[in-house]
Amino acid sequence: MGFETFVGLTLSGLTVGMIYALVALGYTMVYGVLKLINFAHGEIFTVGGYLGATFLIWIGIEDGIPLPLKILYVILAFLFSMILTATLGWSVERFAYRPLRKMTRIAPLLSAIGVSIFLQNLILLVFGVDPIIMPVAAIPEGYIPVFGANFRYLAVIIIVFSLILMGGLTLFIKKTRLGKAMRATSQDREAAEMMGINTNMTISLTFIIGSALAAIAGILVAMYYGTLKFDTGFLYGIKAFTAAVLGGIGNIPGAVIGALVLGLAENYGVGLKLGILAYFFILGLIVGLAYQFYFLPREARKKALFNLADRFSYDEGSLSKVKILNYCYYGGWISGFYFLFKERRDSLVRIHARQAIRVGFANTFLFLVTLIFFLNSNYKISSEWQNGITFLVLMLVLIFKPAGILGEHIPEKV
Amino acid sequence: MVLLETINLTKYFGGISAVKKFNFKINEGEIVSIIGPNGSGKTTFFNLVSGLYKPDSGDILFEGESLVGLRPDQISNKGIARTYQTLRIFGNMTVLENVLVGMHPRLQSNFFHSLLHTLKVRREEKEAREEAIKILSYFKGRLTGPRLNHPASSLSYANRRRLEICRALANHPKLLLLDEPAAGMNPSETIEMMEQIKEIRDKGYTIILIEHDMKVVMGASDRVVAMDHGEKIAEGGALEVARNPLVIEAYLGKKGAQIA
Repeated sequence: MGFETFVGLTLSGLTVGMIYALVALGYTMVYGVLKLINFAHGEIFTVGGYLGATFLIWIGIEDGIPLPLKILYVILAFLFSMILTATLGWSVERFAYRPLRKMTRIAPLLSAIGVSIFLQNLILLVFGVDPIIMPVAAIPEGYIPVFGANFRYLAVIIIVFSLILMGGLTLFIKKTRLGKAMRATSQDREAAEMMGINTNMTISLTFIIGSALAAIAGILVAMYYGTLKFDTGFLYGIKAFTAAVLGGIGNIPGAVIGALVLGLAENYGVGLKLGILAYFFILGLIVGLAYQFYFLPREARKKALFNLADRFSYDEGSLSKVKILNYCYYGGWISGFYFLFKERRDSLVRIHARQAIRVGFANTFLFLVTLIFFLNSNYKISSEWQNGITFLVLMLVLIFKPAGILGEHIPEKV
Repeated sequence: MVLLETINLTKYFGGISAVKKFNFKINEGEIVSIIGPNGSGKTTFFNLVSGLYKPDSGDILFEGESLVGLRPDQISNKGIARTYQTLRIFGNMTVLENVLVGMHPRLQSNFFHSLLHTLKVRREEKEAREEAIKILSYFKGRLTGPRLNHPASSLSYANRRRLEICRALANHPKLLLLDEPAAGMNPSETIEMMEQIKEIRDKGYTIILIEHDMKVVMGASDRVVAMDHGEKIAEGGALEVARNPLVIEAYLGKKGAQIA
């Protein structure tokens, strides 16, 4: 694999990751305030994309018109779609979830699945089976060369735009009065009501923001791939949900990180045509690093991430952990068992050894998977495996850190 | 002037009456304590007043207007704030943010103001912040200084109780409902809390207090109402109620009362 391929994969991984992040934010915010997995969110994303594309087709965007006007049309398409999709998101909450809010937790969940199917059928009914095609004139053309790889302008726009949106959302939630109301509602709805916060309105606002972000993601996907199908949102929804869980559901920065990890893993997994050892090493390294990170005391984590030398400057206890991890990197099974028998007198170490065996298992598993790929497809992993890899990453992360990378956002009722 | 009045207030849970034909009155500027053994309906009464429960019959009048049927946030905006027996502060938010959330209804900025971050919003936020610090300083440096930006979950138990009171005060309520503010505090903290409740009253608030600690009840309240099985069994001055045979019986049982 050349360096250009690597850069190219990283960039497209980031682009796709950003889009997942925009969708994942909707999942995670709704989970935060309602503890509900809004399965209809994927379809809301599709509707957003369809509406944007429809607007652009309807307004008649074409190559002949001047650039400023084109940009204006595209901005109008975004606004049009965001407003309508936000209205849709609001009505879904108002009519499908709110009446069920006081029932068991499973009732709104079923309702969410129902809404998801309903919306998919609605799109079929209105737009037909054929995918909608984004007018070519609306898609920014051209490439920027980055270390030999070609990077689409559109991808740059997606990344920058998403970063701005996420930054804005974070500020909104952290700083503003309504953001504080949202956080209060997600921590303790009853107490928030006591503070005079209209929690129904806050919940509606959550759905409105989440849906508007999904609409943006929908249009961006339609631009990136050129088309959108009635069921595109299903897969995006599932993946964005995975990203939200990966980062720790209910946790906003977590959703973004989870989405980026997922986007990158997907692209590396599919695109890298590495020798088997290199592949094994990279995945093992990711697992091992994640695990090491998990082991270290909280305050040491940051240091360890950025400074390799620091990793070896802890007391005996942490040192032995580092030792185990090194065993894990290189030995998998064997090292785990070796460790277990060598130092089994110390029960604490034995616990660590058991963890080491778990890492060992994971590494062996990865090794076998890689071996299968190696034997089957001559170093190549075909793109059909993309979704498989997505969920492999999810499983691996959750095995070692059940609450997600940044931890589940569990409201502390104190 | 009567601030809050309940008329034959009744609430059933299944067949059991948690609050039964409860008549209660509080004048502006008063501190009234409600005492009674566990399960006597004190907290249910608070939940009824603050709108968490709907009464089965009877009426709650606040400044002459009925509160029955209003949502908790609407009642809060009419000027009633409360604290909980089991603390309900927002643990993931900072001390300052907790109080700012309490101010939520009083602030003007809406979604679009916040988006544009107008001058008005900035001025309002600055004022809110200053006022929040002022309220937090009622408790003399226990919640101010570096603690302002600590997550509320890092506070000690007593400080959480104090923070919850600050949060309740943030919306300038006319009536403050305190549910066992001194629960879990040590004797010196309890005495401090008693003094502070009086100071808060002197700032112009009217307070209903649920409390078990008789020292606080005696020291702080103008009037005491005793409840048992959801009904009012005695009312009057603190000493008078404490000596009432019905009250002693409610706490100690018939036999205990005879011995006492």
